[in-house]
Amino acid sequence: MSPRVGTTKGFAAVLASSMLVAMACGQAPTGGGGASPAASAAEQPTPGGRVIYGSFSDIQRLNPATSNDATSSQVSGKIYDTLILVDPKTSEVKPNMGQWTVSADGLTFSWTVDAKANWSDGKPVTGNDFLARVKMQGRSKVTPNKSAFNDIEGYQDYTTGKATSISGIQVDASNPKKFTVKFTRVFCPALVTVFGSAPMPEHIFGKYTVDNDPSKNVDDAAENNAPPVASGPFKFKEWRKGDQVILSRNDTYWKGAPLLDEYVQKVVSDSTVGAAQMKTGELTMELAQPGDVADLSKADNVKLYKWPDNGYVYIGWRTNNPNVAFLGDKRIRQALMYGIDVDAVVKAVLFGEGTKQLAHHPPVSWAAGVGLNEYKYDKTKAEDLIKQAGYTKGADGFYAKDGKPLAITIVTNQGNKTRETFLQVAVEQYKQIGVKINPKLEAFEALVPKLTGGSPEVEAVIIGWQLSADPDPFTIWHSSNVASPTKAGNNFVGYANPDVDKAIEAGRNGPDCSQPARQKAYQQMNKILNDDVPYMFGFAQNRILATASNIRGIETGSFSPNADWNIEKWWIKK
Amino acid sequence: MRAYIIRRLIYAIPTLLGVSIIVFLITRLSPGDPVRIYTFGALNVTEEDIQALREHYGLNKPLYEQYVLWLIQVLQGDFGKSLQYNRPALPLIFDRLPATLQLATTALGIQLLIGVPLGVMAALRRGSWVDYVIRVFGVLGHAIPTFWLGLMAIIIFSVTFRVLPSQGVLTVGHDVWDVPDRLKHLILPSIVLAVAGIANYSRYLRTETLDVIAQDFIRTARAKGLRERTVTYVHALRNALIPVVTALGGVLFALFSGALVIEQVFTWPGVGQFTYAAARSKDYPVIMAGVMVASALLVLSYLLRDIAYAFVDPRIKVK
Repeated sequence: MSPRVGTTKGFAAVLASSMLVAMACGQAPTGGGGASPAASAAEQPTPGGRVIYGSFSDIQRLNPATSNDATSSQVSGKIYDTLILVDPKTSEVKPNMGQWTVSADGLTFSWTVDAKANWSDGKPVTGNDFLARVKMQGRSKVTPNKSAFNDIEGYQDYTTGKATSISGIQVDASNPKKFTVKFTRVFCPALVTVFGSAPMPEHIFGKYTVDNDPSKNVDDAAENNAPPVASGPFKFKEWRKGDQVILSRNDTYWKGAPLLDEYVQKVVSDSTVGAAQMKTGELTMELAQPGDVADLSKADNVKLYKWPDNGYVYIGWRTNNPNVAFLGDKRIRQALMYGIDVDAVVKAVLFGEGTKQLAHHPPVSWAAGVGLNEYKYDKTKAEDLIKQAGYTKGADGFYAKDGKPLAITIVTNQGNKTRETFLQVAVEQYKQIGVKINPKLEAFEALVPKLTGGSPEVEAVIIGWQLSADPDPFTIWHSSNVASPTKAGNNFVGYANPDVDKAIEAGRNGPDCSQPARQKAYQQMNKILNDDVPYMFGFAQNRILATASNIRGIETGSFSPNADWNIEKWWIKK
Repeated sequence: MRAYIIRRLIYAIPTLLGVSIIVFLITRLSPGDPVRIYTFGALNVTEEDIQALREHYGLNKPLYEQYVLWLIQVLQGDFGKSLQYNRPALPLIFDRLPATLQLATTALGIQLLIGVPLGVMAALRRGSWVDYVIRVFGVLGHAIPTFWLGLMAIIIFSVTFRVLPSQGVLTVGHDVWDVPDRLKHLILPSIVLAVAGIANYSRYLRTETLDVIAQDFIRTARAKGLRERTVTYVHALRNALIPVVTALGGVLFALFSGALVIEQVFTWPGVGQFTYAAARSKDYPVIMAGVMVASALLVLSYLLRDIAYAFVDPRIKVK
């Protein structure tokens, strides 16, 4: 799960989650369906051509073991395939390069790598490649994801150098396509967070990690930024820094060579320019902003795909900040939930491309809550709740108690148009229910440390979450992740509720990791959050993919943020 | 002359040192923490991971110690490693320098080629419609924000008429040595970057030319029976050019800072775009390397200006 970060250009970066969305699928070909109403059985997929994807920033690191940025993951994910595949529509985890079974105690996963899975130099993909991935990430000094494998037995001893091997990972010596991974405790998100990490070629990178010398690591390997072999549908060809990165077709891809010759990811300065380039054909694919939809839908050479995002934009209320102690009162927070006309916000901010969010998991997720309070826009109800909390309206039209006004400073990151407009609307609408909002804009780089560091300067914040394919909300809502100056955390709002903690732990550590059991836990959690509303849950935005109208084979879903899960099936109609 | 150049280069050392201290302090004391930004949203990142990264990058040491360590490294030619790219910062900047220099020198050429004749023309036809048009252009060119002009240029030439590319340096799929394609990409950004400068030069030149043609030696030249063209271009222009040279000293730097905006708008993969992105993620080593390279260029361009003086104006002697 990851926060959605905005920049001056007002786009959202999908962080770790994009890494987890596996690339390809073993399902039957779609016959080019979906791309055009004219598509029919008569349309035969033809090889050739390239897709030019517009991205707002350049890639940074192409070794997924050391990188954390969405733009890089979007490229490295096409070079390094994963053991599992997340169904783009249901988020169900399916076999991909690997098939697995789980032991009765839920602690040991036995994997078999597909016999056809190979590296582009002909070497087979084996358990040693997964082991190499875990080892290189464990010994890297620059990776932000060191703790991703903490629950694998023996991993932490290996990272510190106490052990020269990872006891929990055993590769079958007689058939290295088979391997087992043992965890120290049941970890339900493991399939996505652990096995969604792509195996890395041991025969290329293995030499950089030296088992008995923890000071040696992969951090400076030349191959990091120029991968010599690929297990995914595309091979690395060239990185023209600051401009574009070019991938070429992997003819030996285990699921069959892709139809496209090349995938090019090109930097564009902002969404307005991106939309213009879609029209000129300089780009053939990009994620579009809601404001550009009207313009793009008029262009004959552009086709738009829309789907609800697995994420949302919200106002977080600090429940643990003495400067705004009243936000600790559930009645006040509920009043703030009733006091915003989210449908009007969606119209103003997103041109209608979004839906109201009522709890943590969006409706597209199997973990979403049921029977939730909809908090229909109701000014009277909002004011009643404020009065119940002991406030009276003053001559200036704002509520106050004991001479203290009901006033909140809401901060958001400068340059993100969606959030800035949301903030403006909040100021207006909350004024109507007698709540004074002081809007504040801050540079993203200055805001982040204040949020994750629990700074008392933050009273309320507008920001967003891009959720991972696995619904585990541990880092966002568990009380152990409350952000404080001594301990960074993603629970920015300081929310602590033992019942929510219990539900999160049940969904995370089982012991029953089956979907029905986890679903029950998360439904309960969402019910509580829906009642407690530590966030004004805001809205889930539609993702909008603009493509050249002659690109076929695209199938979208909320759990493939860039819709590229089946890129090897894409083709271009001549 | 050589002694002079050496002396000037020695003087540059305290300047650069001062710049480095100021920029170091500004970047470190302004809010934001590169490790927190970099790890924001990473899966299962723990407080220990964050502390380990801070230690790895030496960010938990006292500020003065960080600076001294930085300086010692820099004297050995090492500007540290980028936190974002995990590669040495100086080579990253040098990777981007050619694109910026290409853009800046092209813009400079356009500025001089257009700005100087415009200014002279305006002065020679003072009060005519030509003068007015040029003067209005001068004010506009100065007042219009470059990013707006850039976006307008993109909308008109790239989107509406589709005659010129708007982004990057090269069409996707073209060979890196495709010079005509590169030139096509250079047209819009370099002209937009040049506009403010054209306005500047034409105004300078107009004022100076007016000053010069009113002087006695011009009257003398005319009285000698020289052709008007010779009077204008040989006698008047050479003298009117002196303030242009003054302006040239800062121009490279102005172009560099102008390029920062232009590179954003046109996604030109230069130092400006790169350093801006680094500043946003508080990538200290890259910010420092970028600023130091820009400062060194500024110092160098002032030196070149002072040398150029001697050529343009025989009354000035380099000592």
